[in-house]
Amino acid sequence: MKPAVKLAQLSRGMGALIGIAAVFVVLALAGVAFGSTWIPIDQVAGVILGGGDKTQQIIILQLRLPRVVAAILAGGAMGVAGYLLQKITRNTLASPGVLGVIDGAALGVVLFLALLSDESNALVTSIAWQPVAAAIGALTAIALVFILSGRQASSAIRLLLFGIAIAAVAKAITMVMMLVGPIYRTSQAARWIAGAVNEVNWGEIQITAIALVPVMALVFLAARKLPPADLDEVSARGVGLNLPLFRIAIFVLSAVLTALAVAFVGGIGFIGLMAPHLARLLVGRSITIGILGSFLVGAVMLVGADLIVRVLFAPLEVPAGTVTAVIGTPYFLFLLMRKGRTHG
Amino acid sequence: MPLWAMLCLLAVILLGAMLASLTLGYRVYGLDQVLAALTAFDSSEAHVVIANLRLPRALMAPVVGAGLGMAGVLVQTLSRNRIASPDTLGLNAGAAFAVVLASTVLGVSSMVGLSLASALGALLTALLVFGIAATAGGLSPIRIVLVGVTIAGLFHALVEVILTTNEAQLQQLLFWLAGAFVDRPMALVANGAPIMLVGALLAASLARALDALQADDTTAHGLGVPLGLIRAVAFLAISLLTGAAVAMAGPVSFVGLVVPHAARRLVGLRHGRQLAAAALLGAIYATLADVLARFVIFPGEAPVGAVTAVVGGVVLLALLMRRAA
Amino acid sequence: MDKRLAVESLSVAYGQAKVLDAISLAIPDGKITVLAGPNGCGKSTLLRAIRRLHTPRSGRVLLGDTDVAKLSDRDLARQIGLLAQSPSAPEDMLVEELVRLGRYPHQSMLQPWSPKDADALEAAMFGTGVAHLRDRRLGSLSGGQLQRVWIAMVLAQETSVICLDEPVNHLDMAHQIDCLDLVSRLNGEHGRTVVLVLHDLNLAARYADRLVFLKNGAVVAEGSPRELMDETLIARVFDIQCRVIEDPVHERPMCIPMRNSSPRFSA
Repeated sequence: MKPAVKLAQLSRGMGALIGIAAVFVVLALAGVAFGSTWIPIDQVAGVILGGGDKTQQIIILQLRLPRVVAAILAGGAMGVAGYLLQKITRNTLASPGVLGVIDGAALGVVLFLALLSDESNALVTSIAWQPVAAAIGALTAIALVFILSGRQASSAIRLLLFGIAIAAVAKAITMVMMLVGPIYRTSQAARWIAGAVNEVNWGEIQITAIALVPVMALVFLAARKLPPADLDEVSARGVGLNLPLFRIAIFVLSAVLTALAVAFVGGIGFIGLMAPHLARLLVGRSITIGILGSFLVGAVMLVGADLIVRVLFAPLEVPAGTVTAVIGTPYFLFLLMRKGRTHG
Repeated sequence: MPLWAMLCLLAVILLGAMLASLTLGYRVYGLDQVLAALTAFDSSEAHVVIANLRLPRALMAPVVGAGLGMAGVLVQTLSRNRIASPDTLGLNAGAAFAVVLASTVLGVSSMVGLSLASALGALLTALLVFGIAATAGGLSPIRIVLVGVTIAGLFHALVEVILTTNEAQLQQLLFWLAGAFVDRPMALVANGAPIMLVGALLAASLARALDALQADDTTAHGLGVPLGLIRAVAFLAISLLTGAAVAMAGPVSFVGLVVPHAARRLVGLRHGRQLAAAALLGAIYATLADVLARFVIFPGEAPVGAVTAVVGGVVLLALLMRRAA
Repeated sequence: MDKRLAVESLSVAYGQAKVLDAISLAIPDGKITVLAGPNGCGKSTLLRAIRRLHTPRSGRVLLGDTDVAKLSDRDLARQIGLLAQSPSAPEDMLVEELVRLGRYPHQSMLQPWSPKDADALEAAMFGTGVAHLRDRRLGSLSGGQLQRVWIAMVLAQETSVICLDEPVNHLDMAHQIDCLDLVSRLNGEHGRTVVLVLHDLNLAARYADRLVFLKNGAVVAEGSPRELMDETLIARVFDIQCRVIEDPVHERPMCIPMRNSSPRFSA
């Protein structure tokens, strides 16, 4: 590609990225400002910087900021996870939600809670291990999907079907595990499966953020190799890329990101589908900008969804994941139909 | 094996399964106790358990299984798609959503009312899924299933929203949502069975036309099959069968997927036989799954839908791997 | 009763596009009529319209004195049978199950399978030489065998008219001849009126009693193969120069396409 064209694309991408970042900041602030009492943004900024009065501090720091930050981290991680999956399968229908990854993660979490709690339903180990359980579940699911589909994995549609079957089995076992546990855990789990940001506490956020840093670093490292991954295996090797191994690495990264996003927040699968699309539309094809864009768009989506829930349904705590599902489903169907028309 | 012999054999197996359902469980009762409970009821604990707890589910499971099995045959022939089923096309989820909506938001409480709401939910979902397929110029079988599963996911999300606002009944509703025969009153069976019977009769009347529908549309048309009419009646039959099943036991997954495959293997493709075999096999499968559900997390009860989901998921994987779909 | 098939001023359109333009045609009873023409001339559409798979914009199709539009689905299916262009059926369907479908228009609710149906089934399978395959799955048959089974199904319908839409397109040479010989024999032995759409002009000339050339939705010529296999006419209809010679074996005209003077594709 001509350098001049590439530069133009890059600058356009950067411009769009800055635009998204601006929206992101506004929405995040709005997310904190809005609630049963509206706190003006300058006062929000004041509290965050250390001042403000006591009640405001409690509201913002204990109630609102956690959920906004959780939404940012989870939505962002999910967006990037979706971006990686779509890039590596070269198919825009792929997303962590439809490959059974989330259901695997859910099963991991539920097993973790069920097996590692004592009689009084307190966890025997640190909650920091929960994301690990989610990650193990997510990785197992994705591994099963790929191992079982074998050669059929090249067809994205067939891959999705395998994901559906695995998801069904995982969901069933999760359901059983949930019913075995005490009631409060069942309701907590049900809400979590639907995707809720409102019950995450600072401890969980810290764990997620700490884990996210090295993973995102790996993502950016791997991103540099993504363009050659578009080639076939032999040509890729020619430019020094071991394609099967690289593919596995990308899947692992995607699964881990999904697990991190889902571990405390729950089922927000559709963000992994929609965020990369929107990002690509806005910022173009450059990879690094694409990753950043997916993160920001995913974060915007989840913060936005949570805001919608609070605006429309207060005082009911409707899970934010439901909003993403209600919007994401028609979108997914629309995509399917469009593909059907062109490819038959 | 001639057809009548096969069907008799299946009927015998079904009887055995039902007896197992009456005798096995948290407490194991003997056949003599079961017979006594049914014929010479005394208010002993054993008889109460057998007559009031085990009998309803021993009757409900085969009815629901038969209905879903037949619905599965209809769905697979109608969509010319061997991985389609009432649940993979989202019909179960739509029916469940309709039931939850009707009972929590609209306050419907009569069994018949809920069954009809359920059937309506299944019908509307069927129209939605097939409608989407048609407007996209006929999606391939795999895409139709993707559409169905996605729509099912949406309905599940919506149901969960309604459920999370209903804390008190959450666990109970979750259990039902997974598909369960336990703790369901006998009245449900009595009320749901007639609706299912109507659906079954409709299905039976379509048998020959369905045979012809297995070929392409042009051929079927050329044979004089009134395509529009047959499809409409089939939709109705599917909705009644699925609706009644879901109203009785919640959305029991994958029965309508697995059973038609087995039926075809046993008796061939002619729909008269396929429907009869599917009804019997579905009844057997649901009853045995119900028995299994009592033991997988002993001493607790697992929802039967979880058992059928695991089995069905594995079967679906096997079908996909063998490219039988 | 006079059951002669005739088309009267038939026009068929898809939206704005006119596919058949006021076609009038008489199909001779008990003979093989072949519809031929270049791609998009409307030959398949005409066949399907005869079988009432399309609703005409104007005009009608007559069976004797009856407009086919007035017949019920069932009655029509008992008079005119159709073998579609790319028929499909499940791979695990048995041969017998497929041929059985041909009896659909004859079956009734009260007597789903009568001795008459059984006889027709056997006659159809033996007549097409597939009786020994009756318990085989469709997926296990060769292309040629499968096509015979489809013909058996149409034969079991026991209609006086049989329409076949490009029945040999996908078959290899041996099976093409095999299939058309079978059709010819069915016409000769059972006296069925056959209307065929064929792509290959030479096959058309070899098997037709009556040949019809269509172009742009209209009938350009009709007559015996000898009359229509004329170099000027073929050039006009098919847009190709050819030499017409006599097939010495079958005593039918045969056309040898020549190199195009104005090539359609650049080198």
